[in-house]
Amino acid sequence: MQTLIILLGWTVLAWLVVRASQPPADATAPQSAPFLGGGTAGTHAWQRYHFRPYTMTLLFIAFEMEMMFMYPWAVVFVSEGIVALAEMGMFLAILSVGILYGWREGVFRWQ
Amino acid sequence: MAVSLLSCLASRAPAPVFAAIGPGWQAAVERLLARTGLRGALTPRDAGILLVAGEMPDNTAEALNRVHDQLPRPRAILRWTRSHETVDDIAARIGASWRNLGAIDEQDLLPDQPPNEWKCVGPHGQGGKGMMGGTPYGRPMAMTGEDIRDGLQLDRYTARIGPFAPMLPPGLVLEVTLQGDVIVAATVQHQPFAQPADVDAPELCAARMLRLLGLGGPARRAVRGGRPGGLWVRGAVPRGLGMIEGAGDARDRLAAFLRGDSPVVAAFDLPGLLPGLEWSEAMLVLASVPPSAVLRAASLPEDA
Repeated sequence: MQTLIILLGWTVLAWLVVRASQPPADATAPQSAPFLGGGTAGTHAWQRYHFRPYTMTLLFIAFEMEMMFMYPWAVVFVSEGIVALAEMGMFLAILSVGILYGWREGVFRWQ
Repeated sequence: MAVSLLSCLASRAPAPVFAAIGPGWQAAVERLLARTGLRGALTPRDAGILLVAGEMPDNTAEALNRVHDQLPRPRAILRWTRSHETVDDIAARIGASWRNLGAIDEQDLLPDQPPNEWKCVGPHGQGGKGMMGGTPYGRPMAMTGEDIRDGLQLDRYTARIGPFAPMLPPGLVLEVTLQGDVIVAATVQHQPFAQPADVDAPELCAARMLRLLGLGGPARRAVRGGRPGGLWVRGAVPRGLGMIEGAGDARDRLAAFLRGDSPVVAAFDLPGLLPGLEWSEAMLVLASVPPSAVLRAASLPEDA
């Protein structure tokens, strides 16, 4: 019963968000045009652009996955002993290949 | 009765005013928008009242109609053309029309049609160049061009940012080509409107930059003549931005404005300064130069 309420709640919330993000139904053609201070557009604004957060995303995903797997590992680490340490070491070595790639590509260089 | 209570409460909100500034009225409008009881809207969609200050030249009439039609209804237009009407009078007029919004039904000035119909190669609107066929609604899709920062190929978007853009000097029409938000080309299509010398006042220039930095409260305090407050506002402007010989960079100019000095900016190349900058940086650079210097720089290519 609780699950159903939560599901319905999220569905209603999602529907409200979609409705709020749509343009009003009575928008005229000048109101649907982009605001350029009274100017006109030369091309459509649907265009490809640089994904600037790429370097941050690379680092974030690497460290985030590492953190995510270290949480349950830390719970059982003491009881499992040296084997767990070796396994986590192997996992970190694989992740560090990604960090090393980023390092060589210059993601740590401040621009 | 409930409706009038609601409108009573709503009318206590600050009136959102979009100001279309004409020749000679920039200083007065900026001081008006710093008053309590009204706020300057950044786009017409955020506004309920369009304030047309000054006599607009005829070649900007269509742009003004576009801005007017973009205000959502109910809306009101106020014209401020007589210089003997003081700031207090016009503020009172704005308050009155905000409380009575909806009394007059402002009709649209432009027809309710897209600027061009769908137009492609074939008889049924199909076909066209490249993977994005056709020219939907008369405008082509943004096609690729070389990125000036790193040599990749990215789409270029061209637009004319018009005479009534709140972040540009009033009257300036800039035809910009953007890749993402990086300006790759900029040309001046219409010079900024002529303004009297009091628009170069350091507190107004500082307030323009502070508004672009998102510091609306400090901007209002600066216009009213006090200290802007805030913790090291100069640090919000990146160092080395908008370097002009003899006038330092944007951070130096903001420091000068905050001290109360008016830096003298010699002639500079406006279309050469903007390419390579991101949009926010370019707007900061334009706001850091006193408007009379921008006017001189924007008129130079016509003399050459």
